[in-house]
Amino acid sequence: MTESLYRLVYFSRNALAGDAEAVRAEIESILECSRRNNAAANVTGALMFNGGCFAQVLEGPYGAIQVTLERIQCDARHSGLKVLAFDRRSARGFAHWSMAYVGAAANVDRFAHIAKTSAFDPSALDGEAIYDTLKANLADSALA
Amino acid sequence: MTKTLRWENLDTGLALLDERNVVVYANPAFATLLALETVSGRPAITSWACDLGPDTRQTLERRLCSNEAGAVTLNEQAPNPVTLYIGASRDGQRLVVGARGWPVADDCGLAAQLDPLTGIGNRLMYERHLATLCEHAVRPAVAALMIDLDRFKQVNDTLGHAAGDELLRLTADRLRKLTREDDVLIRLGGDEFLVLQTDARQPDAAHGLAQRLTEVMSRLFLIEGNSVEISASVGVAMLGHGTAALDDLLKHAALALYQAKGLGRARYCVFDPDLEARALARHQIEFDLRRALGLREFVLVYQPQNSTRDGRISGFEALLRWMQPVRGPISPAEFIPLAEEIGEIHAIGAWVIRSACFEAAGWADPTLTVAVNVSPVQFENDNIIQIVSAALKDSGLAASRLEIEVTEGVLLTESPEVLERLWSLNRMGVSIAMDDFGTGYASLSYLNSFPFSKIKIDKSFVQSEHSSRSQALISAILAIGTSLGVTTIAEGVETPDQFAAIRAIGCHSVQGYYISRPMPAEDVADYISRFDPEPFLRHAEQEQIA
Ligand SMILES: Cc1cc2nc3c(=O)[nH]c(=O)nc-3n(C[C@H](O)[C@H](O)[C@H](O)COP(=O)(O)O)c2cc1C
Repeated sequence: MTESLYRLVYFSRNALAGDAEAVRAEIESILECSRRNNAAANVTGALMFNGGCFAQVLEGPYGAIQVTLERIQCDARHSGLKVLAFDRRSARGFAHWSMAYVGAAANVDRFAHIAKTSAFDPSALDGEAIYDTLKANLADSALA
Repeated sequence: MTKTLRWENLDTGLALLDERNVVVYANPAFATLLALETVSGRPAITSWACDLGPDTRQTLERRLCSNEAGAVTLNEQAPNPVTLYIGASRDGQRLVVGARGWPVADDCGLAAQLDPLTGIGNRLMYERHLATLCEHAVRPAVAALMIDLDRFKQVNDTLGHAAGDELLRLTADRLRKLTREDDVLIRLGGDEFLVLQTDARQPDAAHGLAQRLTEVMSRLFLIEGNSVEISASVGVAMLGHGTAALDDLLKHAALALYQAKGLGRARYCVFDPDLEARALARHQIEFDLRRALGLREFVLVYQPQNSTRDGRISGFEALLRWMQPVRGPISPAEFIPLAEEIGEIHAIGAWVIRSACFEAAGWADPTLTVAVNVSPVQFENDNIIQIVSAALKDSGLAASRLEIEVTEGVLLTESPEVLERLWSLNRMGVSIAMDDFGTGYASLSYLNSFPFSKIKIDKSFVQSEHSSRSQALISAILAIGTSLGVTTIAEGVETPDQFAAIRAIGCHSVQGYYISRPMPAEDVADYISRFDPEPFLRHAEQEQIA
């Protein structure tokens, strides 16, 4: 018996302060605990950070996504979280990543338009576009 | 594995999970309890949950996804249900204990003190806890934070009760995350929660938590796939900081919550004793107001309205006074808004109309009119028509002698029903005057929406008639009145100069202290018979010549 699979894409504003080094360390710790928790909860996904904002894809069973999002939601390290997409999927897009990471340096060009749009109106962001961009980035870095 | 070997023989069901919730080991008692043949090596959810209903399955899933400790009762309807106690996840391991009937056996009153929906305490737990606090010799530092969701009803109405319940559960989870172990969490009922903070540094701890609560509750909830945005208001009361008795804690937190809601929600307020004094005063006046009519504490006083042309009395305005035996006379500006809010205005307003009609019917001069103020609230239903027609019929007053004064507020809602009610009165022969014109929303279109018989120019214009601005306004109102065929009356005329100026500018009538203060009903007859317009006219004419 397989459980229904869901995918959630959200966008949020960074509330991390401090110099680049401190921010990097904080992201490191977010990723570390995400990987630990997500693996246990059967959640996979990818996180994008470009200095001003986060975008994240979470995939997994409904209950697991809800519990994980509740945890993320209340995290003071970001704010203004907006869900861009939440739907049922037939397969995982990030099956091998409990939390893949795409930083600003990974592909500046590809994220430029997202960052530009989002700076003005996060609701104009398209969940699908973020999902595709994240996937494309990971495919590139896998080739590299 | 000596430990595991001993587990083999235990009656209690035990299972060990890895960090992915895969069963690493389960003892025979556990397998028996869940009626499973193989348990080890499979994910806990899929192997344990195959016979469960969707709700229990979801609860189990949620508990397993969370790293914290929790319990799930698997088949609650069964006579002796199995409960799984899921330990907190530590270093990629967690222990699950399965047993039958524990929640009932391990009662000590706890089950009765828990809210079944959210798993946090209920009112009974609050009372027990309060009782324990009362026993403390030293006064404990307790803060009560009362939390109310701001748009819960909308969620319930638009997404359904299941979604509402889910929101309450998630709210309880957020409260759990934000509070410390020894804080007490209570669901008071509906969408109202309470956190009792004990042994914390007050007032800082309560301020901090209240701040964080309002912030976190305004963050999005994911419910049945919908993004739900609500917010919460919080009321805080602290022992030793404005609240002296434990018993008052909840009441004070509720008052502060009420204030937070009043200030526009999504915020917290801390109780201050002035708040209680104000609430008490309001409560008292409300109590008195509800009884005032029965105790005959209201009286009507009458102020003459005079023609500017010949100075003669054309009628009287009936003005309401509340002679409160303890507080003395209370002005309508103070009690009418309250009466409107608590609905008492309907009874009071009906009494005013009836009394004024009976009084006017007794005046010697059958041409004199009587003007009565009617609140917009009284126009909210059709009763106003019955009230007026019965008052006219019973008193025998001609409909043409009654004038109903309404403010711009009556037309504000632009409701066709309200307009129809005005028309019904108009068809009876009652005239309708527009009161306080120019002070409110002053839309000229209101004047066009109904054939008002009179426009009453507010006293603020009359009394600042030296300013060229109000001069211009008065002239404009008079011009509008003339072109619509509506008579005009200036109120608040207090000095000979004001009278002369209003007369010179062409206003039809005046009312104010200069002619006479409002008088008791029993003085009206005498006043009418003695009234002499001569001195007023003479003075005004001299003024004009000068
Ligand atoms: C942008 C962002 C993304 C996050 N993503 C995840 C995630 O995918 N999974 C997760 O468990 N925690 C995530 N977190 C961290 C959670 O908010 C929270 O700090 C963490 O789950 C606490 O875990 P712990 O109780 O195991 O320390 C994220 C935080 C931020 C700011």
